[in-house]
Amino acid sequence: MKQFTYTIQDELGIHARPAGLLTKEAAKFKSTVSVEDGGKKGDAKKIMSLMMLGAKKGHTITVTVEGEDEDAAASAIQTFLQENL
Amino acid sequence: MGFFDKFRKGSETVLGSPVKGRCISIHEVPDPTFGEEILGKGVAFLPADGHVYAPADGTVSTVFPTGHAVGLTTADGAEILIHVGLDTVELKGEPFTLKVESGQAVKKGDLLLVADLDRIRSLGKETVTPMVICNSADFKQVETFDGKDTEPGDEVIKLHK
Repeated sequence: MKQFTYTIQDELGIHARPAGLLTKEAAKFKSTVSVEDGGKKGDAKKIMSLMMLGAKKGHTITVTVEGEDEDAAASAIQTFLQENL
Repeated sequence: MGFFDKFRKGSETVLGSPVKGRCISIHEVPDPTFGEEILGKGVAFLPADGHVYAPADGTVSTVFPTGHAVGLTTADGAEILIHVGLDTVELKGEPFTLKVESGQAVKKGDLLLVADLDRIRSLGKETVTPMVICNSADFKQVETFDGKDTEPGDEVIKLHK
């Protein structure tokens, strides 16, 4: 299992477009990817689940990646967050 | 097609138009997030007025605090996103009045939000309103009925399990 935190820098937080793109990124891997924000947990492979977090600028999210390709998945998700959120 | 179709309604979810306007193909939306179906398959609308209604019975999964989009989950698990305008998240709520809150049960035809379309245009954004199925992959087929004028509630999408 790989886990890391990321603090959202984007003014608008995880709204529809970043949720869709993050889901697309997570779907490239076999590992499960979950995102937690303030006690709410979402599945990064499900757009609605991510949007339901309502993660805003300044929130620190915890990303947990688990599965056979977790190293590659964690690093791809981390890069995605840095570039998009 | 034919006589027996009406007996198979149970395995289908029919979504009505959320607005009065014109229903167009999702591929005509000039924003790749929608046009390339990154948020899922669906249709889009050129709304004639700013009243946005529930396309089916369900539960409000998420309302964006900015009021520009609403997520609904139907009884059989379709996750629907109605997004009023393009890049309207940047308007930070001003032209939108939400009429529902997260977790609320809604019936088809209930008013979800009211958008001031003229205000959206004057702020430099397009009012084209996509309605997409975020979990399209959970359905065998997302059948769309675009290319027609719609009244709220007119059939625009049929989901086949």
